[in-house]
Amino acid sequence: MRSSKILISQALNTISGNMERTGDPLGLKTVYWTRWAENLDLPRQGPVLLFTARMYQMLPYVVQATEMAEMAHPLVPVLSIKTFAKMAEIAGAVAADPILRLRARRARDIRSRAESALAGIVHALGDAGIHPSYLYEKEPYSGVLLHDLGMEEAAIRVARSVYRTLKGTGAETVLTVDPHTTYMLRHVFPRYIAGFDLNVRHYLEVLADVGAVPKKIRKSGLPEKIVMHDSCVMTRDLGVVEPARAVLGRLGIEVLEPENTKTDTACCGGPVEYAFADLSRSISCIRAKELAGVCRDVLVACPICLINLMKHEKLMGIRVWDMGEILNRVFAGRFIDESIAQKP
Amino acid sequence: MNRDDAERKMLLTEFARCRACRFCVDVCPTYQASSGVESFSAYGRMQIIKYLLTGMLEFDDSLTYCLYSCLQCRRCETICKSKGQNLDICELIQRGRRLLSGRLARGGKHAKL
Repeated sequence: MRSSKILISQALNTISGNMERTGDPLGLKTVYWTRWAENLDLPRQGPVLLFTARMYQMLPYVVQATEMAEMAHPLVPVLSIKTFAKMAEIAGAVAADPILRLRARRARDIRSRAESALAGIVHALGDAGIHPSYLYEKEPYSGVLLHDLGMEEAAIRVARSVYRTLKGTGAETVLTVDPHTTYMLRHVFPRYIAGFDLNVRHYLEVLADVGAVPKKIRKSGLPEKIVMHDSCVMTRDLGVVEPARAVLGRLGIEVLEPENTKTDTACCGGPVEYAFADLSRSISCIRAKELAGVCRDVLVACPICLINLMKHEKLMGIRVWDMGEILNRVFAGRFIDESIAQKP
Repeated sequence: MNRDDAERKMLLTEFARCRACRFCVDVCPTYQASSGVESFSAYGRMQIIKYLLTGMLEFDDSLTYCLYSCLQCRRCETICKSKGQNLDICELIQRGRRLLSGRLARGGKHAKL
């Protein structure tokens, strides 16, 4: 709680400064968000556009940025405000990109799971007959963090720029992969942009609407039962509750409900991780305990929930699955079917 | 009346609708994680913004922590709705932050409302 005013002030300045300088909330200058799509051969233009807003790809860097911010906290009361602000400004502008990229190499597990989740989403959409385009290196960030922190003027600038980019592709429908970006595009952008006319859909809504049972389901490596952790934004902000359950049901996975579920779900603690890592961890621990009491396999459909609940995997003996990872196992065949592998 | 003044007036009108039933307190994840400190609940945060706006509280480290630790998860709104009051609590806290964030970004430690 000590020095919170300086910490929040610094976080606000750093995030808005990064966005202005590089268009990325972490201040990364190098394109880091296209690797997952390298072998998927997605078109660059089309009526249906997949908009990841870099959310999954950002995860290894978010983990490192949070760790580095935590390491700097003890310096806050020691240094003068001007010195600390200057240090943070220089570190952000000069060193953030190489240091974060170097440190993020260690987070291979998170990176591979995030990339697997995105690939799974594309494969599942493909199975449903939907072949979206993707903006690759031109894909922008949605500005959701600026909005959450109350930086309205900066969020409006970003929203207008993102809208211009999305419209520039000629897309009529935008498919989103995470609840936060869906909320921004569906509820916040129309407030800031007159005549906003993109059809915004979350991929789970699309998959649930298609309704068909997939032709080939590789069962091996998939959990038989899974406990559902609903995202707050998905259920309470967007009112999207049943699609994930419908898709899992079609895949033959039994969905178990924890005590706090659907529109009464409990938060993973993710939204305050940028400044208050201890509080965030306490909240995610309470939720992880509740989920672990029901089943060791936990399902999330949000990158923020994924990294926050993943922290407790070892301690609580749970395995947190993103919906995209499940879809990747079912549709992409990246993992060898054990029953086939055992045959001579 | 400029935009900030209109926002302050709107916030105070909305906070006056709160019946202080405190059902939103127990369900708040930050209240649960902080072992029951009411300032870390939805009700507590609305009170803090109200008294900051009326000048009865001075903006300090602990109040910054309380306001910016809100998860914006809207669990409080579900319970407020079920009790018939239906306040957009997270939206109100978000608007309170909007009044503060510009000053915090510019002024750092010395930011005041």
